Amino acid sequence: MRRFLPLLLLACLPGTALAQASQFGVRGLGFPGRGLATRAIATGGAFALFDQESSLNPAALGGVATLTSVFTMSEAFRSVTNPTGTASTRDIRFPQLMIVGPVRQTGAALGFSYSSYTDRDFTIASSGTIDLRGVPVGVVDSFSSRGGLSDLRAAGAYRIHDRWTFGAGFHVITGSNRLQSRRSFNDSSYVSSVQRAEVSYSGVGLSGGVIRQMGTRFAVAALGRWDGHLNVDRDSSRVGTVDLPFTFGLGIRWQPTAKLDLATQTILRTWSGANSDLLAQGGVGADNAWEVAVGAEYTPDLKRPFRRPLRLGARYGQLPFPLTQGIQPHEYGLSVGSGMRFAQQRGGIDLALEHVWRSDGTFSERGFILTFGISVRP
Amino acid sequence: VRALLLLLAAAFGLSGCQEKLTSPGECPELCPGGQPQVFDEVFGAIAGQDSSFSGYVQPQAAPALLVSNGLRGFEERAIMRFPPRSDSVTVRDTVRAYTVDSVAFGFSVVARDTAMTGLELLVYRLPPFIDTTTTYAQVDPAFAPENLILTVPVPDTVRTGTLRAVLQGSDLARVALTPADSGVLSVGVRLSAPQVTGIRLGASAAGTGGVFLTYATVDIPDTGTAKLRSFPLTATFNASLPAVPEVIDPSLLTVGGSPSSRSLIRFDLPPRIRDSATVIRATLELTPVSPISGLPNDPARIFARAVLADLGAKSPVETRIAGIDTLPAGTSGTVDIEVARLMQQLWLRTTGPTALILSLPQELEGGSFARPVFYSTAAADPAVRPRLHISYLLSFPFENP
Repeated sequence: MRRFLPLLLLACLPGTALAQASQFGVRGLGFPGRGLATRAIATGGAFALFDQESSLNPAALGGVATLTSVFTMSEAFRSVTNPTGTASTRDIRFPQLMIVGPVRQTGAALGFSYSSYTDRDFTIASSGTIDLRGVPVGVVDSFSSRGGLSDLRAAGAYRIHDRWTFGAGFHVITGSNRLQSRRSFNDSSYVSSVQRAEVSYSGVGLSGGVIRQMGTRFAVAALGRWDGHLNVDRDSSRVGTVDLPFTFGLGIRWQPTAKLDLATQTILRTWSGANSDLLAQGGVGADNAWEVAVGAEYTPDLKRPFRRPLRLGARYGQLPFPLTQGIQPHEYGLSVGSGMRFAQQRGGIDLALEHVWRSDGTFSERGFILTFGISVRP
Repeated sequence: VRALLLLLAAAFGLSGCQEKLTSPGECPELCPGGQPQVFDEVFGAIAGQDSSFSGYVQPQAAPALLVSNGLRGFEERAIMRFPPRSDSVTVRDTVRAYTVDSVAFGFSVVARDTAMTGLELLVYRLPPFIDTTTTYAQVDPAFAPENLILTVPVPDTVRTGTLRAVLQGSDLARVALTPADSGVLSVGVRLSAPQVTGIRLGASAAGTGGVFLTYATVDIPDTGTAKLRSFPLTATFNASLPAVPEVIDPSLLTVGGSPSSRSLIRFDLPPRIRDSATVIRATLELTPVSPISGLPNDPARIFARAVLADLGAKSPVETRIAGIDTLPAGTSGTVDIEVARLMQQLWLRTTGPTALILSLPQELEGGSFARPVFYSTAAADPAVRPRLHISYLLSFPFENP
C-alpha cells in the first residue's frame, strides 16, 4: 500500500502551484475556500461542523480517536459563460491539509491544518481594436492573478462526558496575489507590455465551536469565528486593510437508523464588513454570504462502516464578491461520494464528485469538481 | 485496492496536472483595475544640442571604394597603390632577372545597381607615389587616354564578385615598372556607363582590395631550364576621391559620406516616462533635407545607438542594441527608426544620458554612397526637427486587492 502513496503524490506534483479559475474569483479577495475534507464535500458540506477532518469547527476535533493526517486535492472541470463568450477551464488545487490527534488520557485533541481561505487564480483574456497613431491596431489583453489566502489553524477540543465538546482555534491568514497585466499588439511595430504587482496579506483570527450530543442519534453543532482584519501590502508598501467576516454556523445531525446518517447546516459569513474597505481600494465591494447544505451518509455494512459508504449532499451558497455592484452571485451544488479504509484502517481514501452551478444572471459557470482525500493513521 | 489506486493515479496524472485557467474577459466586470491605457506623445530633441561630427572613417580606411560617373552630382574615382615589385628573383641562391609574361588585375565588386547595364571600369596608370594627401585635382590629369591601362567590363550578371583582366604582349608596356618608380605601380579607376550610376569596389581595409598579379619566366642558363613565377601584390593604399569634397553643414544632421559623419541627438524625457512608463513603441522621426542619396538597389541602413556616456563626438555607444532603418536611395519621406527596445533597456529606470548617435553600420561607414542629411533642431519649422514619438502605458492601476 505505501508504495502507491508516493506514486499518487508524484503524479500530481506539476500542478502544485495552481488553483481556482472561476470567474467569480476575479473580484475582491477571490473565490472563498470551504475548508472541508473530502467526506464533508461529498455530503454537500452538511456534515462539516461535525467532521474532524475538516477545518471548519474546532470542536469537531474532539471526535478524533487516533493520530490522523489528511491530504485533500481537487480537480475542477468548468464551463464559463459571460457576454464575451464561453470557455472551458480546468484546474487542480490542494485545498486542505491537516494533522490531528488526541491527547492521551485527557479527553482533549489538538490539530493543525492548512486550508484555502480564498483562491485568486485566474486569467482573463480579451481582444479588441484601439486607435494608435491614427491607425486601428488589434490588441489582446490578459489579466492574470496567481495566489490567494491561506488559513493556517492551530486548534484544540475538549470532551465532557461524551455529551459536550468544546473547541477553539487560532488562525493565521496569509497569502499573496501575483498580478500581471499584459497587452500585446497585432502590429509588430508595437512591443508587448507586461506590468506586474504583488499584493500580500496578513491577518489573524479566532474560532470557537461546540457540539452537543443529545442521545445516541442526535447532535447539534455551533460555530463562531472572528477573523479580524487583513493587512494589505502592495509591493511591500502598506496600502490598506480589509475587515474580514464573522462566521456563524449551526449544524444538526440525526441518525434515524443505524445505517443512515443525515445532517444539515447553515453558515453565515458577514463579508459586508469588507464592503467599504474594498470599495475604498477600487473594488466592487462585498456582501454577506449564506450557505445552506443538507446531506446523508448511508453505510451498507455496519460491520465495516468505512467500506464504501454512500454519501450524498446538496447545497446553496451565496458568493461574497460580486462582479457587478448590487448583484450577488450564488451557487448550487449536488455531490456524491464514497470512501474506504485499508491496511487495518490505517489508511483511507475518500472520493467526492460535485456538480456546481454558479451565476449572477449575466455571468455563469457550471462544472464538476472531483475531490480526492488521503488519510493516514500511523 | 491496488487497481483502484493505480486508476486514480493515472486519472490525476494524465488529466489533473494540466491546467487551463483562461476565461474570456468582459469589462468592466472582469477587469479589476480597468484596462491598459495607451498614451501617445511626441518629444522634440533638445534645441541646439544636436550636431554632426565627421572623420570617423577616413577614405583610405573605408571598407569599400566608391566609383561613380556622377551619382551624387560629381564623379568619384578610386585610387590604389601596390607595393614595390622586385625586378629580380632568387633561384638556387642566385639573384636572377625575370621576364614578365603577363599581368592580371583583380577587383572585387561589393555592390552595384543591378538594373544598370553596360558598366566598365577604366583603369589608368597614376604617378606611383600617391597617399592620403592626394587630391582629386592632383591626379585628375593622369586620367588621360594615354594612361589608360585597360578597360574591365562589368558583366551585367555580376552583382558581387571578382573582376579579372589580363594584359599580355605589347600591352605590358603600359604597366612596365622602372627603377625610377621604385617598382611601385599606382592605378586609378573610374566608371564608364551609359547612364549615371556607381559601383562599390572592395578595399584593402576590408581585405578585398585590388590585386596586381605578375606572371614571369626565370631563365636559368646553367641548367638550360626556365622557371615560372608569379608575384601577387595587393594594394597597400587605396582611397576614393570625390570631385567635390564633402562639406558638413553645421545646421543640419549628416550621416555617412566619406570621410564618414555621425550625428548626435539629445533628448530630455520627463520622469513620468523614465521612471514609470512602459514604452510599447518609440519612433525616432527624422526629416531629410533632400531625397536620400545613394546607389539604387543598394539600400543602406541607418543605426541609432544609445550613448553610454555623453562625451560629444567621442561618446561611447551601446553596440548590442540599436534602432535600425533602411534607407532606399531617392526616398524623401520621414525616416522612422524604431527605438522602443533601446529605450526599454537603456533609458527607462536608469539615470544615463538620453542621447542617440546616428551612423551607418560599420560595414558601410565610409564605404557607401548613402549620405542622408536631416533637419536639426535649428530648423525654422518645428515639424521637421528631430523628434521622438513615444507610445506608452503608465503604471497599471492594480486593484488593492
